[in-house]
Amino acid sequence: MCSDLVIKATGVKKRYEDNYALDGIDIEVNSGQILGFIGPNGAGKSTFLQSVLGLINTEGNLEVLGLDPRKDRHKLLKEVCSITDVAVLPKWMTVDQVLNYVDGVHPGFDLKKCLAILSRTNIKRSSKIKTLSRGMVVQLHLSIVMSIDAKLLVLDEPTLGLDLVYRKEFYSQLIEDYYDGDKTILISTHQVEEIEGVLSNAIFMNQGRIVMQDSIESINKKFLELRPTQDSIERAKSLRPIHSRMELGREVFLYEDTEQDKLSEIGEVRPPIIADLFMAIMEKTRKGSET
Amino acid sequence: MITVFFTMIRREIQEHKVAFIYAPFAVALVLCFVIASVYFGITDIQTNEFNFSTEIYDEDYQEAMLLASPEAKARVIRAGLIFLGLPILLTVGFGLLAYSLSTFADERKDKSLIFWRSMPVSDLTTVFSKLLFVIFIVPLLVMPNIILLQSVAMLSASIYFVSNDIVPFSYLWTSYFLTDWFRIIFSLWAQALWSLPIFLWLMFAGTYARRPVIGAAVPLVATIVLERIIFKTNEVWGFIDNRLGFWSRADSFPIALEEIRVVDISDIILMLSTQAFWIGMIASAILVAGIVYTRSTNNDYTVE
Repeated sequence: MCSDLVIKATGVKKRYEDNYALDGIDIEVNSGQILGFIGPNGAGKSTFLQSVLGLINTEGNLEVLGLDPRKDRHKLLKEVCSITDVAVLPKWMTVDQVLNYVDGVHPGFDLKKCLAILSRTNIKRSSKIKTLSRGMVVQLHLSIVMSIDAKLLVLDEPTLGLDLVYRKEFYSQLIEDYYDGDKTILISTHQVEEIEGVLSNAIFMNQGRIVMQDSIESINKKFLELRPTQDSIERAKSLRPIHSRMELGREVFLYEDTEQDKLSEIGEVRPPIIADLFMAIMEKTRKGSET
Repeated sequence: MITVFFTMIRREIQEHKVAFIYAPFAVALVLCFVIASVYFGITDIQTNEFNFSTEIYDEDYQEAMLLASPEAKARVIRAGLIFLGLPILLTVGFGLLAYSLSTFADERKDKSLIFWRSMPVSDLTTVFSKLLFVIFIVPLLVMPNIILLQSVAMLSASIYFVSNDIVPFSYLWTSYFLTDWFRIIFSLWAQALWSLPIFLWLMFAGTYARRPVIGAAVPLVATIVLERIIFKTNEVWGFIDNRLGFWSRADSFPIALEEIRVVDISDIILMLSTQAFWIGMIASAILVAGIVYTRSTNNDYTVE
């Protein structure tokens, strides 16, 4: 895995009237990372991804593959692919027409590769896109994206509205057939549990700001979740957890930078799932700002 | 770059084949059927203002036909063929107005704009491809229908004349100029350039307005009314009215063409030399800049 800088954002801001959708974002993304943007609605995830694609103007400094995405969007999109919504393929086109279109305008598109991927699906080349099921449209869009030799792939809620089977298929195909260790993938989704297994890094966002950013490896070392035995709850509380929650009538504690051996003595220890960690970090941040 | 433009134009043709291929062809077929029906005596069209019937070919008319000078004969035949093609041109004209209003609105409405903009094609290239389609390609798509219509009309009339012993078969064909095809196509290109500010204004409305028809109409109506109230003039309406009509009939065209005739290439050069044409081009350039800017910055996909 190489580590060339793909995205460098310094003090990136985006304001809509009185509200900051992005409020001073500082990020460095290296090639090979699969980076998940996690946050509630209005956190600024999509706004940031749109700015990476050059679709909106922002304040501050933002470089994607060494280019200014707003000024050099045309040049940048030769190296960057995106799926920002599953329902955006033009419905009036046939599958063949959309493939020929991409083949005609995108220098990095490999039509043969795309047709090979599509041959493993039930999608007919003569079908109109409006006659395909939502899942098939996603398969088609993903087939197109996977056939483009791009350095950066941006996925903004790519599986919104899909059922579980297609969502699982989408991510497994993405990782197995597309990701080669050098490509960089940015993913924003509400279904965090479905992507956490594929992420190499995560960014937690809230109200236009980054709350936390780290590699999954580091997060798993830094944060531990403890399910203490019934008689060890007071001892668990004394080890100063950063968050606690109830799970099936059992208290679960989250710790930051606490030795695993100490925790193992009093209960079952495992890394937290991203969604739980996010909730805990948000609550910690909220409490911090209140005090 | 040529491949990109070719692809973009092919996309426009695929998307709008009903308006610019099927509809003109359907109109041409209907006209061919009507013309053939009239000449084969199945029907005729007679109104107070218009008479298309073989009854006009009485003895006096036949004599006049045979006595007519080659120039007069050619003038009548060419004007008649142009006149027959008008319904096709009007169909395409309405198609172009509808296309201009919807082309940027539809991509917002169905959100396909997100897909188009995920491809490495600049907004300027997209706008130019649509201009190229309106100005250059649509007239080319129209021409086969005009040729078909003219051929059917010429053939039907010739068969009628021969079978009724009116004039020899070659009578019409010696006055049929294949070069008129080129005159017509150049005239249509000139027409598209002349009407370009109207098409671009409608396209511009499609890039920003939630209701493109209202977005296109309201600012114009407001400007026309304000101009009349403040300056007591009618320049804006005059501009629109002229641009919606045939360029060779515009107020600013130096020659008053009273009769229907095939325009000469020199007429087009004359049009290109007028101030009105270049005012239209400047307005068009401003509108192109507006379309590119609005399309690249507007992230509102709400279109009703």
